[in-house]
Amino acid sequence: MSSASTPVKAQLNGATPDIPDELAAIAVRDLHKAYGPAEALRGVSFDVRRGEIFALLGPNGAGKTTMIEILEGYRRRTSGEARVLGADPGRPARRWRERIGLVLQECELDPNLTVRETVRLFSSFYPAPRLVEETIELAGLADVGDARVGRLSGGQRRRVDVAVGIAGDPELIFLDEPTTGFDPTARRAAWSMIDGLRGLGRTVLLTTHYMDEAQRLADRIGILRDGELVAIGSVEEIGAGLRNDALIRFRLPEGFAGHHIADEAGAPVEVEGELAIIRVADPQPVLYRLTSWAVHEGIHLSGLEVIRPTLEEMFLELTAEEVEHE
Amino acid sequence: MSELRLVLTQTGYQLVSVARNRRAVVFSLVFPIVLLVMFNSVFVKGTDTVDLNGVTVDAHTYFTGSMLAYAILLAGFNSLAISLVMQRESGQLKRLRGTPVPSWTFMVATVLRCVVTVGLMTLVLLAIGHFAYDVQISGSAAGDLLLYVVLGIAAMCSAGIAATALIGDVDSASAALPLIAVVLSLISGIFVSVDQLPTWLADVARVFPVYHLTTGVQAALGGASLDAGNAAVLALWGLGGIAVAARRFRWEPQGVPA
Repeated sequence: MSSASTPVKAQLNGATPDIPDELAAIAVRDLHKAYGPAEALRGVSFDVRRGEIFALLGPNGAGKTTMIEILEGYRRRTSGEARVLGADPGRPARRWRERIGLVLQECELDPNLTVRETVRLFSSFYPAPRLVEETIELAGLADVGDARVGRLSGGQRRRVDVAVGIAGDPELIFLDEPTTGFDPTARRAAWSMIDGLRGLGRTVLLTTHYMDEAQRLADRIGILRDGELVAIGSVEEIGAGLRNDALIRFRLPEGFAGHHIADEAGAPVEVEGELAIIRVADPQPVLYRLTSWAVHEGIHLSGLEVIRPTLEEMFLELTAEEVEHE
Repeated sequence: MSELRLVLTQTGYQLVSVARNRRAVVFSLVFPIVLLVMFNSVFVKGTDTVDLNGVTVDAHTYFTGSMLAYAILLAGFNSLAISLVMQRESGQLKRLRGTPVPSWTFMVATVLRCVVTVGLMTLVLLAIGHFAYDVQISGSAAGDLLLYVVLGIAAMCSAGIAATALIGDVDSASAALPLIAVVLSLISGIFVSVDQLPTWLADVARVFPVYHLTTGVQAALGGASLDAGNAAVLALWGLGGIAVAARRFRWEPQGVPA
C-alpha cells in the first residue's frame, strides 16, 4: 500500500465498526474471490445498515459485479465472511430469496410477454408481493403496461428489470447499474423511485459508475479499486479523508504576482495563466483575509469562487493513485 | 399446493410466450402440418403400402405416423433445446434463479408446455389424417399411441434438456439442432421407410429414440400390437436424459466469460 493512500485506509478502518447483526442488512469481512490465479476481490470488509442506500463505486474491472453477485447468492466466495439479512449468501435458501430483490446486469426478460404479464409472473413467486399495478406505477411503466417487453426501448426495458426486482416487496434490493443507458429524464425518474424505496424503509445496495448518481442517492459510498475497498463513508467523510482540498480561484488582479497574494491570504498560491488558485482544507479564514485585503485596497477579485471537490474528482483521485505508484 | 400453482402459472405464461413467437409456431406447429399434407399429396398414390419390419401399413397411415413422430421430435427436442439455450444465454434463467421460485417448477412447466403443444399437434395431425386421408384409428391403437406420445415426449424433452449442456451459445444451437433433427429423421423412418435403409444405417438409427418413436407410432396406427422394445428404449432415453440434465444443466450464460 502506498503512503499516499494511508489516510484513506485509516478512515476506512474507522468507518467499519462491528455493527450488531440486527442493524446490518449486509456484513462483509475480509472477503476474497479468486478466479484461478487472478484475485477479483482482495480482502473486502464493509457493512450496509438497514434502511440505508449504499453505493459501490469503481472503474470497470474493480470487482463491483463480483462483489454484488456473491452477496446475491450467485457466486461463492473464496474466503472471508459474508452475512446478508443474517444468512450466508453462499447457501441461498428459498425463504431468504423471498426477502431480497435483484436488478441484474445484462439479464433479459421474456420478450414475448407484456410488461403486466411479466410483473404478474414474478409477483407470483413471492409470498407477499406488492400489488402488480403499484409495482408498474412505481417503476414508471404505467403507460406501457400492455406493451410486449421485446418492443420497449432500452430504458423502458431497464425499468421492467427494476419492476421485477421490487415485485416481491423485498426488504433488501440489489441494483447493479440500474440506470445504464437512461436519458437524463429517465435517470431522474429512477432516482426518485429509488429514493422512494428508502422512504419505505428498504435497504438498497447499488453499483454504479455514475458519480452523480451515487452522490445524489447514497447515504454512504464504498469505492472499489482492483478488488480492494479504498474508501468508505458519506461523500463528506470520504472528502475529508483525502488531500482533495477546497479550491479558491479568481483572476489574478493586474500588477500583482502570486507571492503578493500569498502574503496577504496567508496561504500558498498557484498561478495558472491568468488564474490564481489557493488549495486549502478550510477556506473560511483564507477567504476572510483575502477579501478584507482586497476590499481595503479597492481591488476587485474578478471571477472569485470556492469549489468543493465533487465525488467525481475524489473518485478520480482515489482510482488514479494506483497508476501513479506503479 | 403453492408449488402446483407455481408450475401452472409458469406453464401458462410459457404457452402465451410460445404462441406469440412466430419462429416457434412455424417450426413446431405449422411445419409438420404442411409436411403431412405435402407428403400425402405428392408421394402417395391410392393403394401404396409401406413395409415396416414385417408390418404392412398403407402409405397415408405411414405418413400420418411419420409426422406425429416428427412433431414430437421438433417440439420436444429442437424447440425445447433452442428455447432453453436462448433463455440461458440472454440471462432469463439466471434471473429466474435469483427469485425464490424452485428451479424444478420451471423445468416441469417447460415440459408441460411441450405436453400441451404436442397434445394439440397429435389431435390436429390425427384429425387431418382421419378426415382427409381416411386413416382409421382403432381403440387399441389409441391406447398404444397415447403410450408412445407420452414416452416420446419424455425421451425428446429430456434429451433436449440434456443437449443444452453440450451447446455453448445460440449460434451453435441454431446450427447443430436442425442438423441433428434432419439426420435423425432421415435414418429413423420419418421421410423414408426404415426397410429401405442399409442394415448398418438402421443399426445406427436403432441407438436413438427417434427410430423407436417413429416405427412405434407408425405400427400402432397400422394396427400392429405394441412393441415393448420400442417403448423400453424410449423410457431409457428419458431416464438417461434426466440423469445427464440433473448433473450438467447450466443456468448462467456460457457465451460470456464469467
